[in-house]
Amino acid sequence: MSLIRWSPTRDLAAWPSDIVEMQREINKMFDNIFRGERDESFASSSWVPAVDIAEHDDEYIVKVELPGVSKDDVKITLESNILTIRGEKKQEKETKKENLHRVERLYGTFQRSFTLPSTVKSDKIDASFRDGILHISLPKAEESKPKQIEVKVK
Amino acid sequence: MNKNVALIRRTPGAIVKRNEIAESLVTPVADIYETVDAFVVRLDMPGTSNEKIKLSIDPDRLSIRAAVGTLHKEGTGFLLSEIGQKAYQREFNLGDGIDLDRVEAVYADGVLTITLGKTDAMKSREIRVN
Repeated sequence: MSLIRWSPTRDLAAWPSDIVEMQREINKMFDNIFRGERDESFASSSWVPAVDIAEHDDEYIVKVELPGVSKDDVKITLESNILTIRGEKKQEKETKKENLHRVERLYGTFQRSFTLPSTVKSDKIDASFRDGILHISLPKAEESKPKQIEVKVK
Repeated sequence: MNKNVALIRRTPGAIVKRNEIAESLVTPVADIYETVDAFVVRLDMPGTSNEKIKLSIDPDRLSIRAAVGTLHKEGTGFLLSEIGQKAYQREFNLGDGIDLDRVEAVYADGVLTITLGKTDAMKSREIRVN
């Protein structure tokens, strides 16, 4: 019979995968808190809307999920290639606090910023709102559009 | 400089093509509140439309399903993809006191508002103290 040194994590392998997965998530969360970078959910914003950024040959298309946010409560700015979308989601006026049964939706201010990979025509930026999704189109400046260069093989 | 900046790095493989993203079923978040003559359910469901929302109600259950249209062109390359391709689904168990003939739904600004009228017996009444 041989003695095996006990290790608290050794038995982890036998645990159901969900628990291992959960432990990994918690570790990641702590890492993010102490590193204090990238994870915007710990920043001042009270909620973080989901964002898609698509790149096309001639433009970037940004889509932001902002259900129930009025267009007057959204502000978009571009400053040296940093696109910032900020605003506030307000609770509907007819909602009275004393009669709430369930509140899952998040209210309050939000802010997200992105550094765009190349320069855009800041005067040609267009934004519109449809079905709770903010669409922003940012046309690329001429010098950052992809150019086709023919290479002759000798 | 703003310290809240998330940098997008152009690393190989950072761009994901749209058709590689599988559609997922999402439970939309909801607020529920009560008025004198109705219960109001409000769900955040951005990106869908009147035609794509399927609502069904029976005395026990309210069920909501909605597809989300394609937000981007086919084959689009993404620098960031958090919205994804999805469909909404949610069910609520209903108690007594809802008048199935007085149910209304409105979709506006990405929010679905369902008003479930109360039966006369459920409506709150003011009782005067003599």
